[in-house]
Amino acid sequence: MTDIAVLVTDQLPGDAPGSWSRGRPYFVYALQRLGQAVVVILLAYVLSFVLITVLPGNAIATTLGNPQSGLSPAQVKNVESYYGVTKPVIVQLWLALSRFVRGQLGVSLVTHQTVSSLIGGALPYTLKLAGTALLVALILAAVIAYGSQYLPGKWARSVLRSAPSLFLSVPNFVIGLLLIHEFSFQLHLFDVLDPNSPVGTFFAALALAIPICAPLAEVLIANLDRESGQEYVLVARSRGLTQAKLFARHLVKPSMLPAVTIAALIVGELIGGAVITEEVFGRNGIGSVMYQAVSNQDTPVLQAIVALAAVVFVVVNLIADLVSPLLDPRVRLTAGGRREVATA
Amino acid sequence: MSIAIAPQPARRLSATVRGVFTGVPPTVLLSFVIVAIVVLWALFPGLFTSYSAVLGNPAAKFEAPSALHWFGTDDLGRDEFARVVYGAGASVGTALVAVGIGLFAGGLIGLLAGFLGGWVDAVLGRLVDTLLAIPGFLLAVVVVTGLGFNTLNAAIATGVSSVAIFARLMRAEVLKVRHSVFVESSYLQGGSRGFVLFRHVLPNAYRSVLALAVLQLGSAIIVIAALAFLGYGSPPPASDWGLLIANGQNFATAPWLVYGPAIVIVLTVLSINRISRWLRKTS
Amino acid sequence: MVRRNRFRRAVLSAAAVSALVLGIAACTSGGSGASSTASANVAAAGQPKDGGNLTFLIQEFPAGWVSSTSNISSYEGNLWGEITDKLVYVSNTGQISPWIATSWQTEDNATKFILHLKPGVTFSDGEPLNAAAVVDNITLWAKGDPSRGIAKVGLFPALYFENAVAVNNLTVQVNFSKPTLGFIPTLGYHGSILLAPKTLALSVNQQANLLNEIGSGPFVVKSYQTGVSYTLVRRADYNWGPPALGHTGPAYLNSITYKVVADESTREQAVVAGDAQADFNVTPSDIPSLEAQGFTVDTPRYLGFVDGFEVNAGVAPTNSLQVRQAIQHAINRTQILDTVYPKGWDLAESFIQSNVPEAQNDSALFNYDPALSDQLLTQAGWVLGSNGYRTKDGQTLDFNLIPNPYVPSTQQEDELIAQQFQKVGIKAQLKIIPLSDYATVETPPIPPLLSVSRSFIDFSTVGGVLTSLNHGENWFGVGTSDQTLDTLSQQIESASSTAQRNVLANQVQKYVLDEGYFIPIVQQVQRIYLIAPNVHGVTFNGVAYANFYTAWLS
Repeated sequence: MTDIAVLVTDQLPGDAPGSWSRGRPYFVYALQRLGQAVVVILLAYVLSFVLITVLPGNAIATTLGNPQSGLSPAQVKNVESYYGVTKPVIVQLWLALSRFVRGQLGVSLVTHQTVSSLIGGALPYTLKLAGTALLVALILAAVIAYGSQYLPGKWARSVLRSAPSLFLSVPNFVIGLLLIHEFSFQLHLFDVLDPNSPVGTFFAALALAIPICAPLAEVLIANLDRESGQEYVLVARSRGLTQAKLFARHLVKPSMLPAVTIAALIVGELIGGAVITEEVFGRNGIGSVMYQAVSNQDTPVLQAIVALAAVVFVVVNLIADLVSPLLDPRVRLTAGGRREVATA
Repeated sequence: MSIAIAPQPARRLSATVRGVFTGVPPTVLLSFVIVAIVVLWALFPGLFTSYSAVLGNPAAKFEAPSALHWFGTDDLGRDEFARVVYGAGASVGTALVAVGIGLFAGGLIGLLAGFLGGWVDAVLGRLVDTLLAIPGFLLAVVVVTGLGFNTLNAAIATGVSSVAIFARLMRAEVLKVRHSVFVESSYLQGGSRGFVLFRHVLPNAYRSVLALAVLQLGSAIIVIAALAFLGYGSPPPASDWGLLIANGQNFATAPWLVYGPAIVIVLTVLSINRISRWLRKTS
Repeated sequence: MVRRNRFRRAVLSAAAVSALVLGIAACTSGGSGASSTASANVAAAGQPKDGGNLTFLIQEFPAGWVSSTSNISSYEGNLWGEITDKLVYVSNTGQISPWIATSWQTEDNATKFILHLKPGVTFSDGEPLNAAAVVDNITLWAKGDPSRGIAKVGLFPALYFENAVAVNNLTVQVNFSKPTLGFIPTLGYHGSILLAPKTLALSVNQQANLLNEIGSGPFVVKSYQTGVSYTLVRRADYNWGPPALGHTGPAYLNSITYKVVADESTREQAVVAGDAQADFNVTPSDIPSLEAQGFTVDTPRYLGFVDGFEVNAGVAPTNSLQVRQAIQHAINRTQILDTVYPKGWDLAESFIQSNVPEAQNDSALFNYDPALSDQLLTQAGWVLGSNGYRTKDGQTLDFNLIPNPYVPSTQQEDELIAQQFQKVGIKAQLKIIPLSDYATVETPPIPPLLSVSRSFIDFSTVGGVLTSLNHGENWFGVGTSDQTLDTLSQQIESASSTAQRNVLANQVQKYVLDEGYFIPIVQQVQRIYLIAPNVHGVTFNGVAYANFYTAWLS
């Protein structure tokens, strides 16, 4: 079981008795979730700022401190004050936060480009990769789940069952290196010089998708196991329904809820994994922007990326939270923020 | 979703231990052996190799794997197997630190949230949501940027990004137990909160938390390797497995420098995951 | 597993390019010798052909396009050199020749300089490159504009700078309060690029857009996508190339496309496969196999200091002359050369690069002699302990070796040096400081051993690092306590003739090495260029950037 699957399947039914949360109307629930989302985004921004500015030094000193530049520390300091990097941390945080809530992301301390144009230029590539990876992961997970139930031969089925665990044991950068070595250098299916080609993007997405499909596959398998033991399925089977039809009509829909839940949680892994995959495949995107920003301690850029990732995660989960009660009426709307299924 | 029925009172420890040693599948036994070997590498590296991981013979660089050098030699003539063995401490030992942080900090947060409820739960809940909202790997990169680039800090970073998961699980376990019938009766009989915690909550929770901890160990090894691969771990001549792969990637004519450490990582994490799966089954 | 290209390229073309590079490298001092060799070699490879696109693969352009920040960057500097011109041209042997400034006079004991500009030079937007524009540029190089966040050009000799004045439309006078012999050479430094006054007046945020940077160079930026590709096209009306290169008209190449490819082996592979014509920075250990396949790998040497350590003689344990000298003799430079740099690098002969006109061969002063090191250390009271390391008064002789993040190969060097130190009983370990923190290492207190990677265009820079006099950089931690250094430093910085300065140069090299203030290792190669065999006429200037202005494709 993956840790994400644990998160979802170990959820408890019910909240503290006497709490005000049971069975509220939908719009109250939606408003609460929205409010929580905003708080979380702001907290994420503050947390990342505090974490990053702990180290001494700043991006201006780094770039101008290149020994080739021949500038003395005093001369560098002269320039630093223009960029506000020598102000106290609290002041810097306040300035950054007030700009953030107005939608301004600041300016890179290294290239002096606006952060929004920097990220805006790189984002489409990352979205392409992540989107393709999500699709591949969904397909892979569905195939594994289906095969784990219906593949002939007990041995084949148990191999598929342990596939997710295997997928999680190989670091995704190793998968990436392997794919590049086999399919680019040996078989010349794609050119590493042009990583944005369709085939190149597919293999990068595959490297990203393999660890990500694991929790999804596990939850699907667990659900299928449970649902196929239910009475209505036995009844349907006795009526002669084929396996495929059974799968499609009766088993998929109840599995949608946990799948949506997991997919929302997976978004975080997707973004994190994209950073490494872009590095390994030499792709342009948020990953390479982040890598540069870390190397130079370019705080505005780092912050914007972390904030962006948090926003994406929170929004996706918000949508999932708002959509899941509609998918499965058995879900009770509680304050805990996760969808929980009522006990029978 | 799993449907919870009222949890049983904790099984007696002796019954558990007896259950462990009978009917253990062979793959799990093999996994234990592999993990034990890696742990021994971390603790007593000198027992497993006579070569140095730091000093090499530059004249013998880029030698392919042979009886003399099981994983070949690298660009400075160092024995790659020795580098992997000496790197086990950093790669696996620090993973234990990561899990420890996650377990302790996350467990504490989850306990408090679950036990105290109310506004404490709400505040801690938002904190956990925040940690969860920043993708684990990005959070780890940010933390390690703030702390400085070495493997211990990478481990701390990994631990911080796993706090959320432990907190969630612990909270769920606490709530599961708190509202069960026999615990309410325990309160009625005059049991204090501390009594409930130690007699009922922890014994019931430890199995799933332990399984998660073992799982997180495997995942921590991978995240730390990834951080080391990107250069955020201890620099050379340290020999974290991720760093070995990053270094080996530069030399296309010496692929053993990548495959050696990669295979070791995969086998270690695979074994750990197998053990975790088995623990969940027997809990 | 082995990625080798199966096609062998024409050895003749490779030989021609190699001959060109060798010809330039072997250039000795002597006026117009450089120009005739260059043009002779261009002719030897065949007649230059017009047209074509050169694809240049580079790891990244990390520093952005604000010129005051990135013009000295190893990466961006490549592009800057193609879209801008300089007032003078400095060859890779330190020969200064006219460019935008067709002639100049040095007057009043090198305190007054008069530059005569070439008529008819225009920026790519049509504005004239006249005296007013030059004055704007020089003033910004000398002073920067901290109120707008613009730094000065570090190497510009601004200590005694007074002002720059436009005497008439094509004449500029630059005034200093004391002799500044280094002024004219600095005009050929890669930080001294001429930009349109319009560009200079922009805010830092506006300057971040490369399309706003207007220069007068042979190429113009057509379009770019950050982090992906950058396209330059030639200027058809370009007519003012440096005569030293043997070509003054428009560039031969139609366009240059820079493509960002992060992975080194990918870049190499692409050039080998013919998908690109040039690659920036290959792993030194790959050079033999690339050359075996018929490719040229240029390892141009900049004018400046060699790769080595500056020693802080103001802190223990390096405040002892014997310890410093012991370190000098404990390093086996030949082993470092053989292990880390299989081809294209040379041993250091002094603490300045051998292509600097003032350089001499003092390698006998720092030869590998571990027995001598042992002797010196024992004399200094450092006794060999049972663990193999020397101690004195309870302290172990221990050094942190900090690899220079700007020169990646220093890491392997340091790993080897640590091993070599062990042999004479010195304990050493690597301390990796990442790029983002490296600025803090260079601020006092400076560690006993600090890696150096500094180019300079004129020897007077050396005078400015020896002591702390006149805002000196005090590389050796002696402040003003070393009388000999003080005298030498002052005399070098205020020398008013090169003959006078040459004598001082001889003295200072011998003295610094004798005293163990600088530990040379190998001659520095900061930039490596992999060039495909169908590219001819690539030249290298005094700051070791490749120049594609004279290049053509066959």
